[in-house]
Amino acid sequence: MNSTPQPIIIARNVDKRFGSFYALRGVSASFSEGQVTAIVGPSGSGKSTFLRTLNRLETHDAGEIIIDGIELNDNLQHLDAIRREVGMVFQSFNLFSHLSILRNVALAPIRVRKMSRQDAEARAMALLERVGLKNQAHKYPVQLSGGQQQRVAIARALAMDPKVLLFDEPTSALDPEMVNEVLTVMRELAHTGITMLVVTHEMGFAREVADRVIFFDEGAILEDTTPQAFFSNPDHERAQAFLSQVRHGF
Amino acid sequence: MNWTKKYPGWTMFGAMAGLLFFLWGVAIPLSAAPAPIGPAAQQFTEGARITVWLTLISGSVGVVLGILAGIGKLSKFMPLRLLCDFYVWLIRGTPLLLQILFVWLAVPSIMPTSISLSDFACAAIALSLNIGAYNTECVRAGILAVPHGQVEAAKALGLTPLQTFLDVVLPQSLRVALPALANNMASLVKDSSLAYVISVVELTMVGYRVQAESFQPIPVFLTIAAIYLILTTAFTTLTAALEARLDVGQKR
Ligand SMILES: Nc1ncnc2c1ncn2[C@@H]1O[C@H](COP(=O)(O)OP(=O)(O)OP(=O)(O)O)[C@@H](O)[C@H]1O
Ligand SMILES: [Mg+2]
Repeated sequence: MNSTPQPIIIARNVDKRFGSFYALRGVSASFSEGQVTAIVGPSGSGKSTFLRTLNRLETHDAGEIIIDGIELNDNLQHLDAIRREVGMVFQSFNLFSHLSILRNVALAPIRVRKMSRQDAEARAMALLERVGLKNQAHKYPVQLSGGQQQRVAIARALAMDPKVLLFDEPTSALDPEMVNEVLTVMRELAHTGITMLVVTHEMGFAREVADRVIFFDEGAILEDTTPQAFFSNPDHERAQAFLSQVRHGF
Repeated sequence: MNWTKKYPGWTMFGAMAGLLFFLWGVAIPLSAAPAPIGPAAQQFTEGARITVWLTLISGSVGVVLGILAGIGKLSKFMPLRLLCDFYVWLIRGTPLLLQILFVWLAVPSIMPTSISLSDFACAAIALSLNIGAYNTECVRAGILAVPHGQVEAAKALGLTPLQTFLDVVLPQSLRVALPALANNMASLVKDSSLAYVISVVELTMVGYRVQAESFQPIPVFLTIAAIYLILTTAFTTLTAALEARLDVGQKR
């Protein structure tokens, strides 16, 4: 109808319950293409749950989620289409332990995109080069450090050419000296026009790289603003308390 | 053992070549042995071959059955789950000897007369069903041992449930289940001796016949025992090497 582009992700009044406990209550947010959003908040506030409803690792109980114009519901064709568009990077890497690094990255393009093995592996090699791990291609995940594994996980997600990448605390399981190598890769990605939603405790990264900060508290979005506004003077007391805790914690 | 871990490929090759060489050539030293053994050398060799065949066939079918029933036991479809539970319960709760006799005596009476099963086939069916039930539990435990994060990663990449299972869950669970599956296979070498009750001329039956003719049970049974030991050693070496081979990417 109008010239403003459709947001690539629209969430409207999303609820998620575990038993009688509401992990998400009435969450609404939309994300435009190329936007990098940092999602922060205290432990148990529903950050992971929100991310996981976006690719249906958790099913939402109410509200609607529309990704790239496709509604996320029980329709399996919709789900397939959405999972092709949305990649995910996990806190614990979750690389396939029985496959080499190269096969880890090439598996989904071969199976889901029906690419030939040769093409998929050539592309996987290029992606591994991009994350600085070309020379590790024939090793197995256990032979790599945490930081290297997480960079492989990013390459694996990128191999499907997603429009959206979800990161759930990608550096939280890493030793401090490995955090930067992963953040560097993410920083470079942020400039490529891919839409990124990053749950993180790295406030430096949020402040420096993100276009937008969303603060979750008790299953709801309490603040949705720019990094400048969020870090200088957040509107809510809960967010102020969170920020001072984070600052003193590090 | 260390050598097995270091060169699993060569060990597998060695164990297989050794087994074949043994089955092919054991008659030569045996025929040079004195009285009760020498004249029966050919029988011993035949018996060993039958035992190995029975083990390999039932072992392979048993692995397939174990995988299918192991998956079935974890199925969301209740009738299938109940069927697999029933199968494991039935087989593990009754003696193998009874199962062999049942297949041999009872099954032909309920089958169309046009189908006739050889004694060997009856033994192979009973042994397959038996080891399959034990394998089921190993496969099920292996599937349950695969971390959930592996499945989530596969889903997030867009793999279908079937692809997730075949590409990620099954290979990882078999790696976990392999030591137990191998163990079951090695005991099958010995369990196959029960086939003698339905007149399959395997190794134990050969021993029984030869000692009955010669009235010298001691040398005959010692020879049989030695052949069993060589076979079980070859099988355990083979499976240990296979295990080492599949150990790639596993935590050290
Ligand atoms: N599978 C589940 N079953 C039951 N409760 C769950 C489940 N997953 C999450 N929850 C609950 O939902 C709430 C939100 O969890 P979530 O993992 O989204 O929090 P989070 O903001 O990601 O926290 P953290 O920073 O610790 O990762 C928590 O109270 C949690 O205990
Ligand atoms: Mg979380």
